[in-house]
Amino acid sequence: MRVDILMLAAAGGFLAVIILSVVLALKMERIKELGNLVSRLKDSLNEMDEQAKLIVRTDMELNKTQEQLDKKVVGLYALQRLSRSISTTLDEQQTFKMIEASNIEELGFEKACAFFWDEGAREFSLQMAIGYEEDGAQGLASFVAQEKERLAQVISSQNALSCLGAKIKDRFTAEASRALQADSFIISPILPKDGKKGFLAVATSSRNALLNEGDEELVAILANQIGQALENARLFENTWRAQQGLEKKVDERTRELKTALEEVEQLSKRKTDFISSVSHELRTPLTSIKGYSSILLAGTLGEIPPAVRERLEKINSHSDELTRMVNDLLDIARIESGKVVMHKVPVSLKETAEKAADLLSMQIKAKNIEFSCAAAGIAEAFADRGQIERVFINLLSNAVKFTPAKGKIAVRATAAAGGIQVDVSDTGCGIPEEAQARLFEEFYRVDNPINEGVKGTGLGLALVKRIIEAHEGKIWVKSKPGSGTTFSFTLPRFSNPA
Amino acid sequence: MGISVGIGIGTLKDPYQAVQAALKQAKAKLGPAQASLAIAFSTEKFFHLHLFKTISSFLPETPLLGYSGTAVYATEGIFSDGIAIMLLGLPENAYFNLGYVEEINAASGGACGEELGARLIYGFKNIRRDLGIIFSDGILRKADEFLRGLQQRIGLSFPLIGACALDNPQAAKPSIYYGQRLLNNAACGLVLGGKISFGLGSSHGWKPLGKPRQITRSLGNIVYEIDGEPASRVYEGYFSCGIDKLRQDLQTISVFYPIGIHLTAEKEYLLRNLAAVQDDGSLLFQGNVLQQSQIRLMIGTKESCLEAIRNAAETAKRGLGSRGAKFVLVFDSVSRYMLLGRSRQAALQALRDAFGPQAQIFGLCTYAEIAPLTALGNKGRAYFHNQTATIAAIGE
Repeated sequence: MRVDILMLAAAGGFLAVIILSVVLALKMERIKELGNLVSRLKDSLNEMDEQAKLIVRTDMELNKTQEQLDKKVVGLYALQRLSRSISTTLDEQQTFKMIEASNIEELGFEKACAFFWDEGAREFSLQMAIGYEEDGAQGLASFVAQEKERLAQVISSQNALSCLGAKIKDRFTAEASRALQADSFIISPILPKDGKKGFLAVATSSRNALLNEGDEELVAILANQIGQALENARLFENTWRAQQGLEKKVDERTRELKTALEEVEQLSKRKTDFISSVSHELRTPLTSIKGYSSILLAGTLGEIPPAVRERLEKINSHSDELTRMVNDLLDIARIESGKVVMHKVPVSLKETAEKAADLLSMQIKAKNIEFSCAAAGIAEAFADRGQIERVFINLLSNAVKFTPAKGKIAVRATAAAGGIQVDVSDTGCGIPEEAQARLFEEFYRVDNPINEGVKGTGLGLALVKRIIEAHEGKIWVKSKPGSGTTFSFTLPRFSNPA
Repeated sequence: MGISVGIGIGTLKDPYQAVQAALKQAKAKLGPAQASLAIAFSTEKFFHLHLFKTISSFLPETPLLGYSGTAVYATEGIFSDGIAIMLLGLPENAYFNLGYVEEINAASGGACGEELGARLIYGFKNIRRDLGIIFSDGILRKADEFLRGLQQRIGLSFPLIGACALDNPQAAKPSIYYGQRLLNNAACGLVLGGKISFGLGSSHGWKPLGKPRQITRSLGNIVYEIDGEPASRVYEGYFSCGIDKLRQDLQTISVFYPIGIHLTAEKEYLLRNLAAVQDDGSLLFQGNVLQQSQIRLMIGTKESCLEAIRNAAETAKRGLGSRGAKFVLVFDSVSRYMLLGRSRQAALQALRDAFGPQAQIFGLCTYAEIAPLTALGNKGRAYFHNQTATIAAIGE
């Protein structure tokens, strides 16, 4: 029984060992699986971490790019505003004054300065210092004076100079940083086409503003804009000065001409006064001469021998000629001095021309001249009837005088801009071109065989011109020797107020 | 009668004219109500003692608190140069108290926090405390102790929000104006109480990337070892570079790739910006990183940043309930400002969309933010945050 129990116990123990071994083996397997799982999880986490590293690096690059892009966009906006601002001035002195601290800050810098280079004196002069106290500006000027050759090279090479890329600061970079009171700086040449050149320096100590090539480009654009603004200002100044000189000359000439005109007017007035006075003085004795010659010719003082009569008739005729001349002179003088008032009324030009022709009908008939007057549908002129009659008498008598037998004289009125144009044409000998310009001068007579044989004062056309001008009209002549002459004048048209 | 508020913004080139313009706008928006309190946020360019004294001279009876940041937020926009002034007219049943503490880096963090807390709750006996707002210009090496001391004194029953400077030599130091003078190495704040209704939201939008790691050795804000290796190896590995290159790219790395500390039950990781890489391979972070913390490298995008501010605004709006927001107070991280770049106005639009046109907006772009964590287990404890947008919507 004890043996059985012992055997059973041994068998049980053996079974338990087997079971335990199986369980243990299973547990070991599970632990191994879990170990593998943990290992896989660790691997996954590490893989995830590696991926995270890639994401972070890419994100960092993107952020930096974005930051630079933002900076550039802000800088470009600032540059646009600044460019607009500096281009508004055309005063070279004002160009740098248009740049304000806020503009420089918007560009991402804290300080800025600008210098001009005097090639002759080989020295720089400070034009602008933003963000510097007086001491700082003096320090800048000293540094620039000390490093003038290196800085002049920036201008001659037309290339910017900056601390960018200088991993270890050289002596110049260190000195520049000290003088500019900043960690980072860019110096860009200002290169207007003409005039003084110079440089613009911008600087910053901000840790947010690590400089890059984009900043260099931005500052180069700004320096270029300043150069252009200076160039525009200089061009404007030159143009302005030239214009000022021109205006001064024009003023001087105008003054001279005005003085000359005043002198001419004085002279003309004196001449008119003289003619008027002399004419008045001449008229009295002429009236006496005419009177006495008429009495003698009438025979009231007794019969006169034929030879004396002949002389007396000549005296009479010459007196009449002289009286007409004196009257014409007086009329010219009166019109010029404005003493004659034109009594303007509606005047039929056709009737007036025909009336004048009628007065000359004997001469017209004697030379068998064909006279015509055309003014159909033309409104009446607004003029002094008596004066216009004188105009026609003068022009027609001239035409008759110079038109050969069987010639033609025509008067024609047409509508013209703002008035009426009258043409008095003849088929006479014509007037040489060189004489046409002087035709309306007083006492001028064309040098031709007809004039030599016919008496005249040379005052008729001068008087006609004064009368037409007193009516605010114009008179001119068109003529060709051998082809006749046309005198044309304008008069205002009568407009019925109703 | 509820809270009255008037917020004005001045961006004119002449700071004095800018201040006057901002003040004029704020007064006009405030209407007939008396300003009980004035807060001015400005960029550094506009932060001058005389400018703040100018504001005080226009409001001789009104306490004024001033703080600076990289940009100011106003209803009209986000401005990298300007001053925003908020005039707050509080109803009779609302209270506030101001306080400050100096030499915050010389004394123990906890003691400083307690001292400020004692000043802030002075006179608040039997009055419900609603919201605390804290500003600090100092580099708080014992930041967590400071907040712990502060909350120990004022209690954990109400949230603390605010802005501060932390240990980053890259970042500009903010300035504080308090009690007619500029404070240095100081913290100040105010506690609002009585019957102020508000909603809070806070979010950053950064997402974890790569495998989780453990802080194996750290002290305060210095991390010596991660996964048993010198801490810098993590960043060196991710960016495939040495310490020198890390230092060179520190600004970008700090803004875009903080570490995130995993906090149980929190929806988002608590972010810590890299402030410096030291020669021994240790890393200096903005804010404490506890030993044994589980961390991940974090990555953010413009869209995730915008989504975060939308989420924060929605949370704040939910907290406010059915009441509309009278004004929205924003502390938005400079890192987010830089990441968003030219899209940053979209962040403001998200606030406008969430709170509607009647809610005025007043805020600052900050170097580090103070805000509570959201999980119940954290019991309202405030933390220093990086890269975070904190939004407080103050109700009608």
